[in-house]
Amino acid sequence: MIKRLVLDVLKPHKPTVVDLSEALSHLEGVEGVNVITYEIDQQVENVKIIIAGSSVHFESIKKKLEELGATIHSVDEVAAGKRIVEEVKTPQDRSARM
Amino acid sequence: MAHAMKFLEKIRRYIKISGVAPISRRYFIMNAFDGATTILGIVVGAYVAEIPDESWVILSGLGATLAMGLSGFAGAYMTEEAELARKLNILEKSMLTDLKNSVVNKASRFASLWVGIVDGISPALTGVTCLTPFFLSSRGLFSISFAIQLSVAIALLMMFLLGIFLGKISRKNMLYHGTKMLFVGLIITLVFLTFKIV
Repeated sequence: MIKRLVLDVLKPHKPTVVDLSEALSHLEGVEGVNVITYEIDQQVENVKIIIAGSSVHFESIKKKLEELGATIHSVDEVAAGKRIVEEVKTPQDRSARM
Repeated sequence: MAHAMKFLEKIRRYIKISGVAPISRRYFIMNAFDGATTILGIVVGAYVAEIPDESWVILSGLGATLAMGLSGFAGAYMTEEAELARKLNILEKSMLTDLKNSVVNKASRFASLWVGIVDGISPALTGVTCLTPFFLSSRGLFSISFAIQLSVAIALLMMFLLGIFLGKISRKNMLYHGTKMLFVGLIITLVFLTFKIV
């Protein structure tokens, strides 16, 4: 059971981020969506999508994104299980050592 | 009812995604104006030639309307299809992916059809409206000379209204735009009427 999903997505300008977030929020098991645009090109834009819910279905998210003309560049974070486990810093992390 | 609403929502979404609204608006005004102008030309020409019955105006008017409608549909559809396919191709290259099954492709295909329909219907709409007095005249409701006057008045009114619409879009003086369009119609009418005098 995926509770939180963070995706790096490449999308055309249209459908807009508003359309995209609305479409994703209507999917079953999704309770909240956050879309942040972090790079805009002439034809496309890169967005970070955070999806949270009781049971987020990755395949239906992927299908919906493809339907909207977007492609998943990378899956940056997945939180699954009964409760969300947050990332912890360890001495091995480069940022923690600095 | 729910199906119809869903269908309308889909159309609205496709129009939004393809960004075809300004193009179809342009095509609508351009071709509606064409329709009114053509029928105005036929009607004034019929008046100058002193055509005895309205069937000549009706048939040539309907012929011209049909031709304008078909050429408008085919021309706009094919042009927009090519133009939108080019845009999609550029987008696919930027995305490094095939967008065939995406809403972007569906919206693009719908957009070319939509523009074709708008382009085909708009001259027919104004054309047939301008011909209405002749349909009524053929039923014996009024004389052919009154039908000519009424048809010219309707054509000029349509041009004026199209100008008003342009003014509304540009958020400029609507009356000024309406008068500009009306002026074009008056030129056509006056040019033909000088033939009558000469």
